[in-house]
Amino acid sequence: MSDATVATKRQGPSWLILPGIVWMALFMVIPIAMICYVSFWTQTTFNISSTPTLASWKQFFASDTYTGALWTTVRIWLIVLATTFIIGYPTALFVGLFVKSKTLSTVLLVICVIPFWTSFLIRVLAWRPMLGKEGAINIILLKLHIISQPIEVLLFTELSVIIGMSQIYCVFMVGPIAFMLGRIDRNIIEAARDLGAGFGRIFWKIIFPLSLPGVVVGAIFVSVMVLGEFATSGALSGRKVNLLGNIIVTQVGSLKWAMASVTGVILTVVMGMVIAAFLRIVDLKQEL
Amino acid sequence: MTTQTAIFRIDGVTKSYGGVKALDAVTLEAGVNEYLSLLGPSGSGKTTLLRVIAGFEVPDSGRVFFQGRDITNLPAHERGIGFVFQNFALFPHLTVRQNVAFGMAHGAVSVSAEDTAQRTQAVIDMVGLTGMEDRGVDQISGGQRQRVALARTLVMQPKLVLLDEPLGALDANLRGRMRNELRAIREKMGVTFLHVTGSETEALAMGDSVVVLDRGRIIQRGAPDDIYSTPASPDVAHFLNRFNLFDGKLSGGTFTGPFGTIAAPQATRASRDVCAIRYDRLQVLPLSATPTGPALKATYIANEYLGSAVMNFFETADGKVVEVEHHLSLGAPQTFEPRQDYLLTWAADQAIVFGREGK
Repeated sequence: MSDATVATKRQGPSWLILPGIVWMALFMVIPIAMICYVSFWTQTTFNISSTPTLASWKQFFASDTYTGALWTTVRIWLIVLATTFIIGYPTALFVGLFVKSKTLSTVLLVICVIPFWTSFLIRVLAWRPMLGKEGAINIILLKLHIISQPIEVLLFTELSVIIGMSQIYCVFMVGPIAFMLGRIDRNIIEAARDLGAGFGRIFWKIIFPLSLPGVVVGAIFVSVMVLGEFATSGALSGRKVNLLGNIIVTQVGSLKWAMASVTGVILTVVMGMVIAAFLRIVDLKQEL
Repeated sequence: MTTQTAIFRIDGVTKSYGGVKALDAVTLEAGVNEYLSLLGPSGSGKTTLLRVIAGFEVPDSGRVFFQGRDITNLPAHERGIGFVFQNFALFPHLTVRQNVAFGMAHGAVSVSAEDTAQRTQAVIDMVGLTGMEDRGVDQISGGQRQRVALARTLVMQPKLVLLDEPLGALDANLRGRMRNELRAIREKMGVTFLHVTGSETEALAMGDSVVVLDRGRIIQRGAPDDIYSTPASPDVAHFLNRFNLFDGKLSGGTFTGPFGTIAAPQATRASRDVCAIRYDRLQVLPLSATPTGPALKATYIANEYLGSAVMNFFETADGKVVEVEHHLSLGAPQTFEPRQDYLLTWAADQAIVFGREGK
């Protein structure tokens, strides 16, 4: 009870919350409610009516194309999450912890962000001349006589989608982790050394647990973006990899609003579960 | 003190940062079971000295010995020297018990789980944290965190503990209590403490012997009362914060200062000519009185009540502030009129004279 009184006093006039409520209602609550509602509409080839039906839902789970897209999405999400973490954590460790000068670590973080100065689509498409059969990587490997035949699996496969996404989203993993590592008091690490712990122990018992909130925030960023992806898979897989995002794009393109809504609801639920799971790992309220 | 009983010795250690010498050929040793306090103003190199001994910094030249062994190039985690940080540096994600047990659970020497639990509990009891074992370190008070920091170090049973301004982060009341506890705990454990502090009262109160450090050099070492009664140089007298220092000229056994010329047969050799008189050795007389010793005319400015004593501030003709301490156990304090002139006097043998002509 006393907590509540203190809280209201501290929060000030309650009308300040109004713009936030209006914004959230207009751009989140109502659209999501609409998607849920439309997913139960009746779809015919050329028309859609608001007669409630489960047809679209049944069709989604009965079709290998749709469920396959769900599993592909989950699989690619897990692989990209793992690669961004494996590449991103050591980078963050270097930028946030090993670089002693604050200026230099800021400069390095800015360098990580430089690719974002060009548009998202250009960054994705730039992978084509890199990965193609006569692309940069194959030419270099051929010139160095490491391979005698061009590697063909590099482009228009699931691998190229994973490479592209990992590169694009890695920085979202590096940033939050580097931030958390930068906040660790250097004396704590020296104290652990003084108590006789070697680097391995210090890393697993001190540094990693203290950076975990950053890992969780980074993982949430990457997950949300990868799960909703459609452009990278569209541009780099040659239409062979269909994610839930691609399904939605195709369905909307052919005016199949009900099916697009079903896919949208499923995608939203998956994202919600993923975020909830990450938030269970670390109590972000307390850590940040 | 001989090398056999010395627990650690540093020999001509020099350390520079960007051309500035933080430590300049420092040689120091401490015996087994000794409380050594290291007094110095900020920037004197005292923290650097501790960090060199602990192994967090490598000296540019000179050697560090611990228990008779040269440890100059040994990494910090293999040295077995305890370090208590100024800001405590507790592991924020661990409980009190986990903090204390860290060194045994993850250190170079493996300790069985039973021993770890038992030793952890024993040291937690010793520093008075019983019942707090499972609290997070952000759920306890400053004094309790200080105890965790101490317990975490002591549980490793080091022969030498380095304390970097360990009481600096505590409020005055707690500082006084922790001083006594630190001494008591040290005596119980029989280890050597090297306690770095910028506070002269703390250094004098806690150390069996006091080392005064200035600009990377040791300028005096001795028992607290020796340092207090016979500072080796004007700088030491200045750091003790208990002396009025008067510049002047020492020549032919006499010192000429703003108060005239006094005999100075016992002058100490120093790089500049200074006469030091303790705050509580000065007496205040009305202008009309005829003093028996040397005297100096000064204007009364203000006073400061310290509980057990009153500090009176006077200003001399050349703008120098002179402090006079009157201890209240000696009777009620005199009252002075602001902006009035008085005579400050002292017994001739109470002045400590330093000078280039000294011995």
